[in-house]
Amino acid sequence: MRLPLFAAVCILLRTAVAVFADEAWNVDYHYALLGEPQEETTFFHQPNPTSKASLIYTLSKRGFVGAVNPRDGSVVWRQLLSPNLTSSTSQGFLRAGEGQDTIVSGYGSQVAAWSAADGRLAWTVDMHGPLKDVEILELSDGKIGSGAKDVVALSGGGSPAVQRLDGASGAVKWQHKFQEGDEVYQLSASTTEVFAILLHKTVLGYIKIRVLSLDPVNGRKTSEYTLSSENELASADTIISVGANSASPIVAWTDAAHSVLKINIIGTKTVSSYNIEKQGGQTVENIRIHAPYHTTSLSHFLVHYQTATSHWADIYHINFARSITQIAYSLPNISGKGSFSTSTSDANVYFTRITQDELITVSSASHGVLGRWTIDNLGVVSAPHEAIVPTHTVSELSVKGDSVSAIRTAVLLSTGDWVLLRDSKPVWARPEALADITSATFATPSVLEDFQHKLDVETHSNFVGAYLHRVKRHLEELKHFPSYMSSMPQRFISGFLGTTDEGAMASDSFGFHKVIVCATGNGRLVALDAGSANRILWSRTAVDLGSSETWQPGLSSRADVIVLEQGSGKSQQTFNATNGDPLPGIPDTHDLQAGPRVQYTLRDGVLEATRTDKANAGSVWHFTPMDGERILHLVPRPSNDPVASIGKVLGDRRVLYKYLDSNLALLATANDASKSAQFYVLDTITGSILHSSAHSGVDLQAPISSILSENWFAYSYTAEASDASTKGHHLVVGEMFESLVPNDRGVLDAATNFSTVQSGTEPFTLVQTYQTPEAISKMAVTQTRQGITSRQLLAVLSDVEAIVGIPYSALDPRRPVDRAPTKDEQMEGLFQYAPVIEFDPKWFLNHQREVLGIENVLTSPALIESTSIVFAYGLDIFGTRLSPSFSFDILGKDFNKFQMLATVAALAVLTFVVAPLVMRKQVNTRWQFT
Amino acid sequence: MASQMPPPPPPQWVRDLTSPPPSKAKSGAFPDPPGYTSSNPQQVARSKSSKNAVSQPREPPSTYEMDTLKLKKAWELALAPAKQLPMNAIGMYMTGNSLQIFSIMMVFMLFKGPIQAVLNIQGTFARLETEGNKQNMLMVKAAFVGCNCLALALGIWKVNGMGLLPTTRSDWLAWETAREPLERAYFVPS
Repeated sequence: MRLPLFAAVCILLRTAVAVFADEAWNVDYHYALLGEPQEETTFFHQPNPTSKASLIYTLSKRGFVGAVNPRDGSVVWRQLLSPNLTSSTSQGFLRAGEGQDTIVSGYGSQVAAWSAADGRLAWTVDMHGPLKDVEILELSDGKIGSGAKDVVALSGGGSPAVQRLDGASGAVKWQHKFQEGDEVYQLSASTTEVFAILLHKTVLGYIKIRVLSLDPVNGRKTSEYTLSSENELASADTIISVGANSASPIVAWTDAAHSVLKINIIGTKTVSSYNIEKQGGQTVENIRIHAPYHTTSLSHFLVHYQTATSHWADIYHINFARSITQIAYSLPNISGKGSFSTSTSDANVYFTRITQDELITVSSASHGVLGRWTIDNLGVVSAPHEAIVPTHTVSELSVKGDSVSAIRTAVLLSTGDWVLLRDSKPVWARPEALADITSATFATPSVLEDFQHKLDVETHSNFVGAYLHRVKRHLEELKHFPSYMSSMPQRFISGFLGTTDEGAMASDSFGFHKVIVCATGNGRLVALDAGSANRILWSRTAVDLGSSETWQPGLSSRADVIVLEQGSGKSQQTFNATNGDPLPGIPDTHDLQAGPRVQYTLRDGVLEATRTDKANAGSVWHFTPMDGERILHLVPRPSNDPVASIGKVLGDRRVLYKYLDSNLALLATANDASKSAQFYVLDTITGSILHSSAHSGVDLQAPISSILSENWFAYSYTAEASDASTKGHHLVVGEMFESLVPNDRGVLDAATNFSTVQSGTEPFTLVQTYQTPEAISKMAVTQTRQGITSRQLLAVLSDVEAIVGIPYSALDPRRPVDRAPTKDEQMEGLFQYAPVIEFDPKWFLNHQREVLGIENVLTSPALIESTSIVFAYGLDIFGTRLSPSFSFDILGKDFNKFQMLATVAALAVLTFVVAPLVMRKQVNTRWQFT
Repeated sequence: MASQMPPPPPPQWVRDLTSPPPSKAKSGAFPDPPGYTSSNPQQVARSKSSKNAVSQPREPPSTYEMDTLKLKKAWELALAPAKQLPMNAIGMYMTGNSLQIFSIMMVFMLFKGPIQAVLNIQGTFARLETEGNKQNMLMVKAAFVGCNCLALALGIWKVNGMGLLPTTRSDWLAWETAREPLERAYFVPS
C-alpha cells in the first residue's frame, strides 16, 4: 500500500522540480539584446533634466526602443515596438527634446512617448498612415520650462497630414492635411516655423522639392515654394539629409553619380552648389551630413564623403545674415572607412572622427585637434586579419579649456558589435548582431571529436592493435602531464570550493561546452560556447551582404564541421567548428546505410517525395492539401533521436510497444475559409496518413506549433469562442503504439526489420487534449545522449516572454480520465487527467529573466546522459542546461565536498587515536582478573 | 650436562592445577541431591552402603535400540526446517514487498539457511548414521532436502513478490531491439 503512494509522491515531486535555485543564473545565460542600433535614432541623453549621467537611447533595426547604461552596457529598459516582426522593415524615429524626461518614438503608424528613466509608456497615438517623420518642437515662444514639449508628426499613405501632438498627453492640437499628389518626405522644425518637405514628380520623371512652411501655433500654411533642383534628383534616395531641429535646418541632395552637392537653407530659395572633387581617382560612394540636433547650438555641419578605399570630410558654416553656406575647413583624407559623430556642449559643436585605429576630436569652429587617441583593440572577436570598420558612432565629451578631458563613444562595428570606448579603451561590447539570427546549429568542438574518434579506432581494431594504439595514445598524453600537474592545485582548489573553472573547453568531461554556430542577418557566422555564458568563440564573415540584402542560409553540422548552405543553388561552404577556419572539402551529404532512399521537400505548397537511389529513381508520392487548404509547416522526426526503450513498462510489468519509425513527419495545414486546421502524421516512405485530426473554429492568426519525437507528437492551436466552448489555447498530445494490447508487437511481431511499403502496419494512437493558459508559439523537445532520461516538451510562450519545460508525464495521453488511477497506473506514474495544464512556476526555464521574441529553440545532448543543452534564439539569446530526470550522473552543486572530506579526515584521526587504546584494552582483558 | 640435572620440582600452581583440592568431607547429615553421582568412589561406596539401595547398573542399549533412537533423532532433525516454515512465511508476509534493507536481509537469510543446510547434510547426520540405519537414513536425508527446498520455495515466492524474478516481458525488454526500417526518408528544405 505504501509503495505505490511513495512512487506517486516521487513522480509528483519529479515533475514539480525543473529549475533549482542554485542553478538559476548559473547554468543559464541570456543576452538581453536590442538589435543593431540605427544611426539616426541613437543618441546620448539625460533621462531627466536634473541628472548629470546620461544614457544611450536607441531605436534598433529590430524595432526595439531602449536605453543602455554607458557605464556597463546593461539595458536599463527596452520596449518592443513591433510585436509582429515581419513588419520590421519600416524606418523608425526616435527623438528626445532638450531637457525633457520623455523620449518620443515613431514606428509604423504609432507615435509613442516613453519615460526616459524607466521606459514607461506616457502616451501613444495612431497616425492612420505610415509615419514619415516625427520631430519635437523647440519653440522660442517665451514659455520656458512649461513642461513637455509638443511633437509634430508627418504621416504618409492615403491621406498625408501633419499633426501637432501635446507633449504631455498626446492629444492632437491641430492637423494639416495635404492635397494628394505629392509624396510627403520629411519634416523640419526651426524655432519659429514647421517645414514640411514634399517631393513633386515632374512630367520628365525627376523630382522637385517642395517646401511648405506651417505656423506652429495653428498649423496654417504660411508660405510655399519649390526648389529648382533641376534634373539631378531622379529618386528620393539621393536626398542626403533634411536637417531638423537645428538653428537653421538645411536640405542637401546630390545627383546619382555623387558629383555635385547642393545645399539649401530651408526658408530661403537660394541653392548653393559644390562640386565634389574626386580624391585618389575613386568615385564617392556615400555622402552623409552630420549636424547638431539642438536649436541653441552653432549652425555648423559636417559633410562626410566615403569612397571604396578612403574618406574625408568638409565642415560648413551657415551664414545667417547672407543666408549662404560656406566651407570652413576640411578634414584630411584617410584611407579606410571611418565614421563621424556630432556632440554639443552649450553652443559649441564638436565632431569626432573614428577610423580603424584612431579617434580624433575637432571643434566645428576651427580645425585644431582637441583630442587624439590611438585605438589598439576594440575588444571584439573577429576573424584573423579582418578589418573591423566602424559603421556609425555617437559620442559624448567634456571639454576643459582647449582639450577634451574625457570622451565616450558608442560605435557600431561592421562585426555587428556595439562597443563603447572610454577615450580609446573598450569598456563593453554588445553583440547586437545576435538579435537577428537566421539559422543556428550545435557542433562538437574538435578536441572532443578527436578523442571520440580515437576511442572508435580502438573499439574497431583487433585486440593487439587496440592495445598498442592505447599505449601509444597514453604515451602521447604524457606530454601534457607537466601542465596537468601544474594545474592540479588550481583544479583541486576550485573543485573543492565549488568555483568551477568555466571556459576550459579541453577539460570539458561532461560535454557542456558545445559550440553553437549562428548565421546572423548581416552575413556573418558567430560561434558561442554553450557551456559558459557571454563567450563568443569566433566570428567571421560568411558572405558580403549589401545594406538591403538578406540571406536565408541553412546551417547543419557533422561532428566538428559546420556546413553552410545558401542561395537557390545550395552552394555549400564548410567551416571548422572550433576556430571557424574554412575547410576545403565538402563532406558527403548522406553517409548513412545503403538501401532505398526517399527525399521529400515542401515546394509550392505541395509535399513531394522522390526516390534518390540509383536503382529506381523517380517520384514516389506527393501530398497536395485539399481545396482551400495551405500547408503551415512540416515537422519531420529528428534524424538523431535515440530511444532507449522500445516499449512502455506498465504497472504490472507488462509492456506496451511503441510505434517507432524514423520516417515519420507531422504536417499541419490550415483552411482560411472554414477557419480550420488539420494535422497529419505521415509515413514519408509511402506517403500514407497514419493519423489525422481536424479542428474547426481555429484562430489562424494565433501561432500554431507542433513537434514530433520518439513515438509521440504534440501540436497546439488557439480555438475561437463558439457556442459550445470559450476561446482557449489547446495542446494536443498523441502517442503511437504497435498495439494497445500489452506484450503484443502487432503483426510484424519479432521481425528485425520492416518496410512500410510491403507490410503497411499502422500505429494505434492515443490522443489527449489539454488546455494551456498561454498560446505556444514554438515547441521543442529535450534530447539526451541515449534517450534514457525522460523528456520535457519545451514550449515558447511569446505572450509572457517565457519558455516552459513541460514534463512528458504531465502530458501522457494514457492518464486515466474521470477516475482515480488504479494501483498499477499509480506505479507507472500516471495521475488523473485534468483538462487544464497549469504551468508550474518551476517549469519556467527563464525564471526571472524576460526572453523576448524567441523564434526557435534548439536542443542537443551533452556527453552525460542526464543533461540536455538548450539554446533559444530570436530577438534575445537564451541558453541553459536541463536535467529532466535530475542530474543522476553528476554531483550537484549542493554536494558538500568539504563535509565529506572533513568526515573522512575525522574518521582517520579517530582511527589512529583509538587504535592503541583498543589494543591495550584487548591485552588487558586477557591478562587482568577483576 | 643439562640431562644430568634432575628436573626442577613443578611450581605450586602446576600442582594445584593437576591435583584439585579434595572435596571437603561432607557431614553425613546431607545426602547428595537426587541424581547426583559423585565421582569419588569412596563416597559412592559409602552412600551405597549407608542407603542400602539396590540399584542395578543400567544395561547399555542394544545396537538395534540405538539405531532406532538415532533414526528417530534424525527424523526430528530432518523435519525441523518444515516446522519453521509457517513462522518464516508469516515473517516474510509481514515485511512487505518493498525493497528495504530489512526485507532484503531477511530474504538473504532465507536463502542462505536452506542452502547451507543442504550443503552440510553429511555433517549434520554423520553422528546419527550407523551401518544399520543407512538405508533409512537415505529417506531421512531426502526429507531433509525436501523440507529445505520448501524453505527455498518460500524464498522464491518472496523474491517474486518483490518483483525480482525476470518472469515478465518487461524484464527482457532491454534485449529486444527496435525494427530497422529498410527505407530511409530525408526532409530537404526547399
